[in-house]
Amino acid sequence: MSAASGPLTGIRVADFTWVWAGPSSTLQLAHMGAAVIRMESMRRVCVLRMLPPWLGGQPSLNRSGYFNQYNQGKRSILLDLSKPEGAQIAKRIVAVSDLAAENFAGGVIDRLGLGYEELRKVKPDIVMISMSGYGRTGPESSYVSYGPAQVPLSGMSSLSGYAGWPPMHVGMSYGDPNAGLHAAFALLAALYHRERTGEGQYIDMSQWESTMAVLGEGFLEYSMNGAQPPRNGSRVPYMAPHGIFRCAVAQTGEGLPDDRWVSIACGSDDEWRSLCRVMGQPELADDSRFRSIADRKANEDELEGIVEAWTSTLDPFEVKDRLQAAGVAAFPPLMNRELAEDPHLNARGFFVEKEHPEVGVRKHPGIPWRMSETPCEVWRAAPVMGQDNEYVFGELLGMSSDQIADLVAREVIR
Amino acid sequence: MARALEGLRVIECGVAGAAAYAGKLLADLGADVVKVEGPQGDPDRSLGPFPGGEPHPEKSGIFLYLNCNKQGISLDLGHAKGKDVLDRLLADADVLITDYPLSQSEALGLDYERLAAANPRLVMASISPFGQTGPYRDYHAYDITTSSAGGWTWLNGWPGHPEMPPMKPFGRQTAYQAGVNAAVATMGALFWRLRSGKGQHIDVSAQECITAILEMTFAFWPYMQTPTARWGQRPIQPIDFFQCKDGGWIFVLCVEEQQWKSLVDLMGNPEWAEWEVFANRLVRAANWDALKPMIQEWVSEWNTDDLYRAAQEKRIPFAPASTVADLVSSPHLKARGFFMEIAHPAAGRLTHPGAPYKLSRTPWEIRSPAPALGQHNESILCGRLGLSTSELASLREDGVVSP
Repeated sequence: MSAASGPLTGIRVADFTWVWAGPSSTLQLAHMGAAVIRMESMRRVCVLRMLPPWLGGQPSLNRSGYFNQYNQGKRSILLDLSKPEGAQIAKRIVAVSDLAAENFAGGVIDRLGLGYEELRKVKPDIVMISMSGYGRTGPESSYVSYGPAQVPLSGMSSLSGYAGWPPMHVGMSYGDPNAGLHAAFALLAALYHRERTGEGQYIDMSQWESTMAVLGEGFLEYSMNGAQPPRNGSRVPYMAPHGIFRCAVAQTGEGLPDDRWVSIACGSDDEWRSLCRVMGQPELADDSRFRSIADRKANEDELEGIVEAWTSTLDPFEVKDRLQAAGVAAFPPLMNRELAEDPHLNARGFFVEKEHPEVGVRKHPGIPWRMSETPCEVWRAAPVMGQDNEYVFGELLGMSSDQIADLVAREVIR
Repeated sequence: MARALEGLRVIECGVAGAAAYAGKLLADLGADVVKVEGPQGDPDRSLGPFPGGEPHPEKSGIFLYLNCNKQGISLDLGHAKGKDVLDRLLADADVLITDYPLSQSEALGLDYERLAAANPRLVMASISPFGQTGPYRDYHAYDITTSSAGGWTWLNGWPGHPEMPPMKPFGRQTAYQAGVNAAVATMGALFWRLRSGKGQHIDVSAQECITAILEMTFAFWPYMQTPTARWGQRPIQPIDFFQCKDGGWIFVLCVEEQQWKSLVDLMGNPEWAEWEVFANRLVRAANWDALKPMIQEWVSEWNTDDLYRAAQEKRIPFAPASTVADLVSSPHLKARGFFMEIAHPAAGRLTHPGAPYKLSRTPWEIRSPAPALGQHNESILCGRLGLSTSELASLREDGVVSP
């Protein structure tokens, strides 16, 4: 087992997070070599461990691909924070850490006696982030929330969807990873400040607010024109064609979906001209219905019909190859299997395949950036529950095996 | 220092919105960000939305949102003298963030080896649709392209309607994600630079930024050899939209069993809730077609806001499908001071989303609205680089700097 590498080597994180948003933030830190210690508990098992896909299909806490994706490179201990002695041990971990993160509903961390004011008593320069659904202040601060609910709550659902259809979910609980990335950025900015001044601080983050931060164009439009931007499928005001078009039905067998599609977008008249050439209809480029972007927007239904009549007899990857060769942006929507087998992602070494004690070697998406001087690497697979009890309680905190046995007997640790 | 990133000199040079979002994240925590635009301006100036739908380069909503707190210069990087000015800016910069397509960034001389020879402390983040290496590195891409290549659009559709196409979510989400990933990686590299004194190059792939966040859907292949459905994996229920009496939409969500019990209680403990086919979140998903109409019937008796509050009262994580109007008038968001009124000389006073996080010692803040094209040409070129006014005038004459 190789050691962690990356620019945050030597930084330790006391990780009180769970579900998806919180672990998404500490995942970024682990990706950069920080030592992340997840404090898990049998009394409140991380929801991700109880969600599929599980290897073999049967529920099993250590076999969830969902958990194993977002906890790569972290350590796990089992510690009962609801017992005063458990909270005391958590504070000993904080005392030797640089960063602390939690995403319980508002107020919960304080009730556990592990709020910022308590943590700074044991580690005055700790940088701590709370990332509850609604933030630490305000009349709804104690409301409960999960990532799936952040999509409608933030306005993203009312802005996304097919034209004339109801508000839509966007296919994933986007509020969670987006909050996690923003939280990681805020933590690192505060860590940078600490390194320069010696000062720690507390960060109050609301998942709701960080989701609205990536919907700027919707809020600005409302502010300018006083109206809700209409749901409009994949169309945008400034490009046409700009959509996802049906391709020939795939002959895949193997129980795979057989409907196939390709995205095509033309950002300029030149790109539109190239598309017409590849479609074998060069005269369309000068057709008065489609000559300029304004013309194409005005006749968009007709335009999309023509493009789809062409794509619907073709394989999506063939469309991609032919259009990319002509400088037109095109790519099929990839499903999970196609991502796993994508030649480009594999050539870039994006996927991580590390041995896990219970699921063996499974392919997981890895780190979406490469650093030239401090290479980032997932140093080991996600932990099974309590995998690092011995390292953390024994080696890091210096407890004797008798002390550990006593705590186990009293179910403070498991 | 009152700001977390005070004194940090960032040069942002981009055309795809991703570098602009990374620059915004740094600028809003106090970094000194100089945005380098071409003579025609950032393409975002032409995307809108615009007041009254009338295009105007100083009134594009996405540009105004992404570029507060920055200084702006306009420089023709296709011109040797333009490249020279940029080189001089980069010689004492801390960070360069760029999202030019690879072919262009090479032509513009945004080459890390060359820049690092002059400034070894430079941290350079290169954002691109597919990254700096691999067979797709030169592919042409917009947001919908990388959103598809990353695996998102395949998931985005309506449950039970496989005849409808995969779809892009609202907004340029791959630009936002590539931007925040670049900002995270840049901060990691800057932290390491404080300890080592050395800069480095960061390669950020927008495709990978999306593939890295596909919830549990990717893992269904390596763990269960199950292809994902276009309308998203919903292994548990309830997790769905329902229409209320007043026409609004509520998102009904129970993640934990305790929340389902509370919902059953709120519904008045109907007899069907005890049926074995609804006994836990996994079987509720398997029998969702049977369960959904019963919940719909109950939801139909409620107004959206009443149901939202009643559920939250019992700690059930319901949420309304908020409209933008709902959000800007939310008492909770008002109490937290989330939305910001920002006055811009051309576009007037507009309401922007505000701080995504509140740092206790080094606050997030807005200091200035987005720059007009070339607004800071003189202060940066003369003030920072020490050009004389006649040198600036000659650059203007050559069309290197405009206006």
